Amino acid sequence: MRLNKPALYAAATTATLALALTACGGSATGGSGGTWDKNATVNIGSLYEPQNLDNTAGGGQGVTEALNGNVYEGLFRLTDDGKVDKLLAKDYTTSADGRTYTFTLRSGVKFHSGRELTSADVKYSLQKVLADDSQSARKSNLEVVKDIATPDAHTVKVTLSQRSISFVYNLSYVWIINSQAKDLKTSEDGTGPYTLGKWTRGSALSLNRFAGYWGDAAANKQVVFHYFKDATALNNALLTNAVDVVTSEQSPDALDQFKSNQSYKVNDGDSTTKLLLAFNDKAKPFTDVKVRQAVSAAIDDKKLLESVWGGYGKLIGSMVPPTDPWYEDLTKVNAYDVTKAKKLLAEAGYAKGFSFTLDTPNYDPHPTAATFIKAQLAKVGITVRINTITPDEWYTKIYKNHDFTATLQEHVNDRDLVWYGNPDFYWGYDNKQVTKWVTEAEEATTTARQTELLKKVNRQTAEDAASDWLYLYPQIVVASTKLSGYPLNGLNSQFYAYDIKKKD
Amino acid sequence: MTTTDVLDKAPAAAPVRGGRRRSATLLAGCTLTGLIALLALVSLVWLPYATDDTSGGRLAGPGGGHLLGTDKLGRDLFTQLMTGSRIALAAGLGSVLTAALIGVTLGVLAAFAQGWLDDTLAAFLDILIAFPTLLLAMLVVAARSATLGSAVLAIGLAQSAVVARLVRILVKRVLAQDYITAARTSGTSWPRTVAGHVLPNIWPTLVVNLALQFGLAVLAEAGLSYLGLGAPPPNASWGRMLQEAQATFTTAPAGALAPGVLLVLLVVGVNLIADGLRDTLDPATRQRRS
Repeated sequence: MRLNKPALYAAATTATLALALTACGGSATGGSGGTWDKNATVNIGSLYEPQNLDNTAGGGQGVTEALNGNVYEGLFRLTDDGKVDKLLAKDYTTSADGRTYTFTLRSGVKFHSGRELTSADVKYSLQKVLADDSQSARKSNLEVVKDIATPDAHTVKVTLSQRSISFVYNLSYVWIINSQAKDLKTSEDGTGPYTLGKWTRGSALSLNRFAGYWGDAAANKQVVFHYFKDATALNNALLTNAVDVVTSEQSPDALDQFKSNQSYKVNDGDSTTKLLLAFNDKAKPFTDVKVRQAVSAAIDDKKLLESVWGGYGKLIGSMVPPTDPWYEDLTKVNAYDVTKAKKLLAEAGYAKGFSFTLDTPNYDPHPTAATFIKAQLAKVGITVRINTITPDEWYTKIYKNHDFTATLQEHVNDRDLVWYGNPDFYWGYDNKQVTKWVTEAEEATTTARQTELLKKVNRQTAEDAASDWLYLYPQIVVASTKLSGYPLNGLNSQFYAYDIKKKD
Repeated sequence: MTTTDVLDKAPAAAPVRGGRRRSATLLAGCTLTGLIALLALVSLVWLPYATDDTSGGRLAGPGGGHLLGTDKLGRDLFTQLMTGSRIALAAGLGSVLTAALIGVTLGVLAAFAQGWLDDTLAAFLDILIAFPTLLLAMLVVAARSATLGSAVLAIGLAQSAVVARLVRILVKRVLAQDYITAARTSGTSWPRTVAGHVLPNIWPTLVVNLALQFGLAVLAEAGLSYLGLGAPPPNASWGRMLQEAQATFTTAPAGALAPGVLLVLLVVGVNLIADGLRDTLDPATRQRRS
């Protein structure tokens, strides 16, 4: 069940942590040959209807899925494999101190309303994300912006208060919006390859190919997102050809019916959603690194992943998914080893075990995971008390008040390792060296240096068992074999539709 | 003239047939409920597998060491069903006891109340009844925490309104009878009147209602557990089992069918008991059968 996501999204805006249940698509598949219908309508099935159409007003993950890259574009674009490409920015330069960015805008870019894109729109769009009432999850990342100048219609000069190597990456989340547009919650004025057709709340949202698009026109004439409340209904829609593709399957058990059918293709991609057993590193007994290591080693993550996802998904040894640039395979660190877990517990003075309360959100897969963890930890003498809580309670009790010993939570965003550098974050991991590395990484002059430092952070947090990273969710896109060119990986809920080709 | 007098004038033959039929109902009800109770009792001393044994394969089919197969985590389904029967019965009994305790007290008080107090109490009970049981239960669970105790308390509270309203009406009717006036004039105190004359006279109707409430309480607990607000994991409440098996219904239907069937058996069983009890305990039918 999916409880109250909108409220949480609104509430958790100051953090990149989002409490959504999954992440969605990223890049394009290799297109199969043959002819396709240039005027096709592609029907997309999704569980995530937008709350509104404004991503700075709590639109939720659905608004990103439907509009990001399709209707709105940023100065940069995040590709499927996690790279950052220039989009509306033709070029940019950085000053020697790394604190001034000068962007040259692509010329001939038109908004859907017909106005030409100017530097004033870029300034307006950035300010919109940074505004006091902005609910953008990226707001805190962009707070380094000190000044935005527009020397001419095609140049934007941004001055930062300090060096920020992620600035360009963060700009891929900033939609460039016509500064004169009104009522962005129900209408749009972006520069993307599609214009908004009709949004029927509770049912569907259609996008139409924009004739005046500056780049290559979309490979299909129309895209319709169909919204479902229930995964079974969504799968049935795919079986009856009411939709051509499902953006993100949430259970492996419905997949057999598609795998055995020649008309469908089941794609197993990488998401950025990690399931965490998050310890409160400031609460006993998890203040002791050995206890955290012992608990991590006592849980058979592989069996849990198999139980929940039946062969899909990946094991991770740290917060970093394979699509992040500083990924390293750390699954061997604190790997499943009951003997070692017992030894560590004895060393920490808990030879006879201990008991703790595990605050468990009441929707899947948390109760299943909690049950499994309880059974696993019982084998090393640790008693787990499962306390089920609602998402709202999770936000207040744990995220805000840090009033917990351990909890379970999904973390959906990419590049969120850096939160271990913040000692005030809910999990209370406080390692001065890590904090220093994270700060230095952000102020690094090259991405190579940034990657090097964050790899250190990655390894250190893994060795410290800052949390127990149970597994990485799979990103399963199921589509009709008539389709090609749809995104496969799950990067931040994006679902670029413009490359999707549909055969006659 | 009392109700009994009126009913005495009913034809003699028909009720006898009805009586036999209803005893069979009671027997069927007791058999079904007894089966579940037996399952619960056995689970106290013996289980096929330990409750936290995850050694079975993922969604193994029936047979092969697991009578009904396993769930996603590899736990034996039959073991969960057995421990689930304890939760179902505990939820039913606990809720009904809570409802009876609060409901009878409130109902008797309301029946004795006069004027505006009577109206207020009646209105209050009507509002409480109009409130869906599940919604009230969700509020209580939200205020406390999601445990079986919270669920039982919540369901009991919601049901106490139904019981109280019934008791209020029944007591008021009894209080208007001549024998109450007689008892009072002969100097019997109110507490003794209530204990000696009022309660024994409303008991038959009340107990039938409580049996019905038992079935509803079992369903309500399953509903709450289905929503993740009942007995917390790893307790194998039937409602939770249904919820967990929902996504795997096409591949492993036993996980959803088994708790569903037991839930139906228990609720039908208790309802049959209620029907049978109405027959055996109702003074009207009792007299007709003799």
